[in-house]
Amino acid sequence: MNNLILLVVLPLITAFLLPVIDRFSTLAARWSGPLVLLITTFIGASAWLQLGTGAVSLELGGFRPPLGIVLYVDQLALLFAIAVSFGTLLLWPYGNRGGLRQQTLTLLLAGSGSGLALSGDLFNIYVFYELVAVVSYGLAVSLRTPAAFAAAIRYLIISGFGAALSLAGIALIYDATGTLNLAQLAQLAPEKLNDLQGLSAFVLLLIGIGVKAELFPVNTWVPEIYATAPKRVSALLAGLVSKLAVVVILRLLVLIFPQPEAHTLLLVLGILGVLTGELAAWRARDLPRVLAYSSIGQLGIVFIAFSVPGEAGVFAGLAMALHHLLIKPALFLLAERWDGSLAGLTGAAKASPLGAALFVLFSLSLLGIPPLPGFWAKLLVLTSLAQMGAALYYTGAVVIMLGMVLEANYLFRIIARMYQKAPSTGTPPGHGRLDLAISSMLGAGLIAAVFLLAPLADRLQGIAAQTVDVNQYIEAVNPVPTRNPI
Amino acid sequence: MSWQELLLELTLMPLLAFVIGLAMVLMMRRIAAQIQRRVGPPLLQPIYDIVKLYSKQTQISHGFIHELGIMMAVGGYIAAEALLPVPGMDGLADKGGLITLIYFLMVPTLGMALGVGQCANPNGSIGISRALTAMLAYDIPFVIVVFGVAFHYQTTNLAEIAAIQQAHGVSGWGMMEMPLLALAALFALQGMMGKQPFEVYIAPAEIATGPMVEMSGKFMGGLFVMQSFQYYTAGVLYTILFLGGGENWLTFLPKIFAVVAIPMTIAMLFPRFRTEDLVRLMWKWPVMAGLLGLAFVMN
Amino acid sequence: MTPLDHLLLLSALTAVFTLAAGNIRSAGWIATLLYAAQGLALVKMWGMGYGPEVADSSISFQLLGQTMHWRFDSLSWFFALITVGAGFFSSWFASGGWADHYRAQGNSLRLFHSALALNVFSMLVLLASGDLLSLFIGWELVSWASFLIMGLASTRAMGYAMRYLTYAIAGAMAILMGIVMVHAQTGSFEFAALAAAVPGMSNGTLWLLLLLFGGGFGVKMALVPVHLWQAKAYAETPGPGAAFLGAISSRMGLFALILVIIQLVGIGRLVGMSIPYTFLDARDLLAWVAVFTMIFPTYIALRQHDARRLLAWHGVGQTGYMLLGVVIMDDLGSAGGLMHVFNYATYQAMLFMSVSAIMYRTGTADLNQLGGLVTRMPLTFIAMLVGIIGLAGLPPMNGFVSKWLIYRSLVAEGMPLLFVGAVIGTLGTILSVYKLIHNSFLGQLRLEHAKVEEAPWSMTLPMLSLAAIVFLTGYFPGVVLDWISALQASVGLPVLAHHLGGVHFAQGGLDMIWINSLLIAGIAIGALIFYSTGRSQRVHQLDNYAGGHFLSADVRYQYSDNFYPGLLHLIGPWYRKSFRWAESALVSLTDALSLAMQGLYRQVQPSIYLLITVVIALSWVNIR
Repeated sequence: MNNLILLVVLPLITAFLLPVIDRFSTLAARWSGPLVLLITTFIGASAWLQLGTGAVSLELGGFRPPLGIVLYVDQLALLFAIAVSFGTLLLWPYGNRGGLRQQTLTLLLAGSGSGLALSGDLFNIYVFYELVAVVSYGLAVSLRTPAAFAAAIRYLIISGFGAALSLAGIALIYDATGTLNLAQLAQLAPEKLNDLQGLSAFVLLLIGIGVKAELFPVNTWVPEIYATAPKRVSALLAGLVSKLAVVVILRLLVLIFPQPEAHTLLLVLGILGVLTGELAAWRARDLPRVLAYSSIGQLGIVFIAFSVPGEAGVFAGLAMALHHLLIKPALFLLAERWDGSLAGLTGAAKASPLGAALFVLFSLSLLGIPPLPGFWAKLLVLTSLAQMGAALYYTGAVVIMLGMVLEANYLFRIIARMYQKAPSTGTPPGHGRLDLAISSMLGAGLIAAVFLLAPLADRLQGIAAQTVDVNQYIEAVNPVPTRNPI
Repeated sequence: MSWQELLLELTLMPLLAFVIGLAMVLMMRRIAAQIQRRVGPPLLQPIYDIVKLYSKQTQISHGFIHELGIMMAVGGYIAAEALLPVPGMDGLADKGGLITLIYFLMVPTLGMALGVGQCANPNGSIGISRALTAMLAYDIPFVIVVFGVAFHYQTTNLAEIAAIQQAHGVSGWGMMEMPLLALAALFALQGMMGKQPFEVYIAPAEIATGPMVEMSGKFMGGLFVMQSFQYYTAGVLYTILFLGGGENWLTFLPKIFAVVAIPMTIAMLFPRFRTEDLVRLMWKWPVMAGLLGLAFVMN
Repeated sequence: MTPLDHLLLLSALTAVFTLAAGNIRSAGWIATLLYAAQGLALVKMWGMGYGPEVADSSISFQLLGQTMHWRFDSLSWFFALITVGAGFFSSWFASGGWADHYRAQGNSLRLFHSALALNVFSMLVLLASGDLLSLFIGWELVSWASFLIMGLASTRAMGYAMRYLTYAIAGAMAILMGIVMVHAQTGSFEFAALAAAVPGMSNGTLWLLLLLFGGGFGVKMALVPVHLWQAKAYAETPGPGAAFLGAISSRMGLFALILVIIQLVGIGRLVGMSIPYTFLDARDLLAWVAVFTMIFPTYIALRQHDARRLLAWHGVGQTGYMLLGVVIMDDLGSAGGLMHVFNYATYQAMLFMSVSAIMYRTGTADLNQLGGLVTRMPLTFIAMLVGIIGLAGLPPMNGFVSKWLIYRSLVAEGMPLLFVGAVIGTLGTILSVYKLIHNSFLGQLRLEHAKVEEAPWSMTLPMLSLAAIVFLTGYFPGVVLDWISALQASVGLPVLAHHLGGVHFAQGGLDMIWINSLLIAGIAIGALIFYSTGRSQRVHQLDNYAGGHFLSADVRYQYSDNFYPGLLHLIGPWYRKSFRWAESALVSLTDALSLAMQGLYRQVQPSIYLLITVVIALSWVNIR
C-alpha cells in the first residue's frame, strides 16, 4: 500500500531522467515511459485489490498531518490514479511521435495527475494542478502550428487567471481555519467556513479549478485547444485532465462546502455549460470542435449531477464522468484523421468501416441510448434530479434532455454523412492502426460494461457511498485536532 | 320472419324501387316540361328509353372495369334498397342502419367513377373529379343531419326511426322536431341528386356530359336505371328521417314523390354553380343550419 | 423456456441470420420462413388472443434495486400478431424479383433484411415490456431500428430519417422525463406502482405526466402537431420496408399510449381532468388531437402526386381514427379504434406493395407519369382496388367495420363535432384514393408502358393474400373482434359483445355477413342484367377520341395533374404550411442561438470576461 507514492514519484523521476537515458540508448528511452506507466498501473491495480472498500492515509516522510504531506487513498482517488496511469499508457506517443519532449511531458502529466487524484491537502492539490496545467500547455502546442500557439496563449491566460483565483480561494480558507489539510478542513468547515468567507473561497476555487474541468464560463479555451492539439493530447485533456479537476471539485464540495448555495452555483453553471456547449456544437464545422463542445456539454451534466447533495448525486456524477472518460478519448482518436471540414467526411465509412462503426457505437452511448452504459448514467442523473423535486433541478433535467436532442442531431448528421456514397473527388483517409486498435479496445470495454452493468453499478455505488462519507475521511487521516488555529 | 318471407321482401323491395324510380323520372321530366311550357314525355317514356338503350347496336366497352363500374352502379343501389324500410317491409334494416346505408350509397358512385376512369376520356375524368368534389361538399351538411337524427332518436335503425315518429303523429315527425336539420337535409339532397344548380359535373356544353361521355347503349341504360334508383332512395331516406316514414303505401307514396319533386321545381330557377361555388355554398348555409339544428337537438 | 422466450429467440435468430447471411439469394425466403415460425410461436400463445392469459419471459435483470422484466398479455399479443404478420408479408414481397431488382440498383440486401428483422425484433421487445424501464428500452430500440430502415436507401431518405430522428429523440426525452417523474413519485418503475399512485396524484402532476407521455408517444404516431416527419420518411423507405413501417411501426405509439395512459391512468381520471376556461377535459383534448390528425394529413395527401407520399400521408391520417376510437373508451369506440389498427395494417401494407410493384415495373411512382396500367397489371390492380376500398372505409372491406364502430360510438356518446370531423377525413380519403387508382391504373396507358408486364408471383401473391385477408375480415369481423374483446378485458376497457358478423344491439347493429352478401348479391344481379342484354364490343385500350377528334396513342390526354381543381381553388389558400413554418423557425432559432454560443466561446478577451464572472458569482454569494 505504501508503494502507492510511486504512482506519483516514478513517472516524475523518469520524466526528468529521460533525456539522460536518451543519451545512452534511444530505444531504452523510448520504452522506459510505457514501462513505467505499466508498472504504476500494476501498482495501482494491486493496491485496488488490497484496498477493498477501505480508505488509507499515507504520510510522506512519516510526518503526521497537519505538518506532513498527506496522500489520501480511497476507492475514488485510487480509481482515478489508475485511470491516469492506464490512460496515459494507452495514449502514449508511440512510434516516437513528437520525440522526447512529448514523452517527457506525458510522463509528467501521469505523475502530476496521479498526485492530483491522491493528494490530501489543498496546497498539494494546487501544486499538482499547476504542474498539470504547465504540462498541458506544452502538450497543446506540440504540433507547433500558429493556430495551436494562439489557442495555447488563450489557454495560458485563462488558466493562469484561474490559478490565481484558486490561490486566493486557498488563502481565504487558510485565513479562516489555519490549515489546508482536507480532513482537518472537513472537521472545521461546519463552524469556520459556513459563512461568507467560506462561500467566497468556494466560488474562487470552483472557478479556478473549473478551468481544467471545462466548467462554464471558464472553458472558452476548450474548442480551440482540442481542435489544434494532436488528437492524442485532446483525448488526454478531455478524458483525463478534466476528470481529475472534477474529482478535486467533488472532494471540495463533499468535504468542505456542503452548503446549499455551493450546490446551487454548481447546478446553474452546469446548466449553462450544457446549454452553451450543445448549442455551440450544433453548428460546429469540424469534428474535433464538435467533440470539444460536446465534451463541455457532457461535463455540464456531471456538474449538474454533483449539485444533487448526497450519495445519489455523486453516484450519478461519477457514472457520467467515468463514462465520458471512456468515450471521449476514443472519439478523439477517431477524429485524428477526420479533422478538417465536416463535408470532407462524406463517404468516410467506406474507407474505414470499423472506425465508422465505432463512431456510431460511441455516439449512441454518448447520447444515452439503452442498453449502452451512457443510458444508465444519464438515467441516474435524471432520477436523482427528479428526486430533488425543486424547480431548478427540474430545469436541469429538461436542459439535459434538450442537450440530448441537439446532440443526437449533430452527431447523426455527421454519421449520415459518413455513410453516404463517397464523392468522386476521393474518400477521406482511413484510420491509423494504433488509433483504431485503442478505440476498438475502448469500444470493447464499453460493450463489456453492458454485460457487467449490475456488478459495476454496485461497485460504483459503493465508491459513491465512501466518497460522501466525511467521517471515514477524517478518521482515516486521523489528524491531530487543532485546538488553536491562528 | 321465415326465410321465404325475407326472400320475398328482398326481391320485392328493389323491384318496387325500380318501378317507383321510373315513375319519379317521368314526374321530373313532366315538371321540367311544365316549367319550360312544353308538353313533356308520355307515360311509358322511361321504359321506352331503357329498352332503347339496352338494345342499341353500338355499344363500346373500354374493358372489364368499364363494365364492372356499371354493375357496381346498379348493384350497389339494388343492395341499398334492401336496407330502406318501406311500409310493410323492413328488409335488412336491422342488419345495418343509417350509417351503413350512407356508405352503401357511395358504392355506386365509386363504381361509376372506376368505370369512367377506365374509359380514358379526359372529359369523363373531369366529370368524376367534379362529382367527387360535390360529394365532399354536400356530404358534410348531410352527415350533420344524420348525426342529429340518429342522436335524437338514439338509434341508427331506420325502421325504428320511422316507428318512433309514427307513434307521435304528425307533430312527432322529424321535420317538426328538427326543422333546421330538415332544411339542411333538403339542401344536401339537391346536391346529392345532382340537380340544377349543382350539376356542374355533367355540364353538357363544357365537358360533354362528363361521366356519361363514353357511355353508350346498355352502359347508358345502366346509368339510367341507377338514376331512377337514386331518386327513389333519396325520397325514401328523407321521408324516413323527417316525414315519419310510411305507415302505409297510400301516405308513403305522396310523401316520397313530394320530396323528389321539390328539388326539380327549384332546379330550373338558378344558373349552374361552378365547383368551388358549389362547395362554398354547401359548406356555408346548410352547414350553418345543420349545426344550429344540432345544437337544438343536443339540448 | 417459456413460449415468450421462444418467440423472442426466434425473432433474434431472424435478425442474426439476416445479418450473417442477408446477401445470399435465398435469404429473403429463409427470413420469410423464420417470420412464419415466429407467427407459429405466437399462435402457440393463442390463449392470450382469446382470454386473460399472461406469459412471462424467463429473462429479467436486476439493476440498482430495480427489476426489469418482460411479459406478454392480450394487448401485446394483438400488436405482436400484426407486427409479425407485417414482417412476414413484407419479407415475402421482398424475396423474389424485388430483391434482384434492389440489388441490381447497387443496394445492400443484407442491410435491408437485417433492418427489417431488427425492426420486428425490437417491436416484439417493446410489446413485451413489463415495466416502465423495459418500456423505454424497447421504445428506443424501435426508434433506432426504424431510423435504420428509413435511412438506408439513399441520401435523400437519410435526410428524412434524420428529421425523424430529431423528432423521435425529443419524444423519447419526453417519455424519459415522464418515467423519471413517476420514479420520483413512487420510487419504482413498475406499472403497478404507477397505477397505485395515480389516485393520489394531483391533477397538475397528472397533466404533466399526460403531456409528457402523450407527447412522447404522439411523436411516434405522428399526431398533429408533431406529424411532419412521418410521411416523407416512410415514402422514401424501400418498398417492402415502407409497407412494414406503414403497417405497424407508428402503432407502437398507440400501444404505449394504451398501456400507460388508458390502462394505468384510466378513463376516470382523464375525464376528471378539465381544462380551465373551456368545456374540455383531457379525453376531449386527445380526441381533438386525433381528429386534427385525421383531417390535416388527409388533405395534405390530397395534394401529393407521388403515390408513396400520398399513401404515407394517409397513414398519418388513419392514426387519428385509431386514437379517436381508443380515447372514446366505450366498448364500441375502443373496439373500432383497435380493430382499425389491424385493418389498416392489412390494407396499408398491400397498398404500399402495389405501389412498389408499379415502381418495379415502370420505375416511377409519380402519378402524373402513369395511367392505364389496369390491363397490364390486373392482379396488382385488384390489390390496389381492395386496398383503397379498405382505406376509404367502404363496404365490403374490413376498413368499413372499424370505421362504422367508431362512428356508431360517437353517435351513442353524443359527440357531433368529432363525428363530423371524422367524416371530413373519410371524404378526403375517398377523393384522394380515387385519384391514386385513377392516375395509376385507369385512364390512358402511356406508350412506354404498353409492354409492361404483371409483377412476378413473389410480389403478387403476398398482395393477393393480404387482399383476401382484407376481404374476409370484412366479411367475418368477429374473428378480429374476438382478439379485441380479450384485449379490452385485459386493459380494463368495457368489453364489446359481438358475434361473427359484427355487433348486435337494439339501437341499430351491424351484421357484415348479411351486408356483404347483400352487396355481392346486388352486384351479381347488376352483372346478370348487364350481361343478359345486348352485346357490347370491346375496343382497344388506346382506341380513343376526345371532343370529336380521333387521337393517336402518343398524344397525352390523361387528366391527372391537379385532379381536384375546383376544390383546391377554394381550400388551396387554407394550406398555410404553419407547421412547417414553425418547424423551420425552431431550426433557425437553434441556429441563431448556436451562432451566439460560438461567439461566446470565441471571444477575444477571455480574461475580462472571466473577471466579470467572478464578480457576478461573488456578489451573488454575498447577496444571499
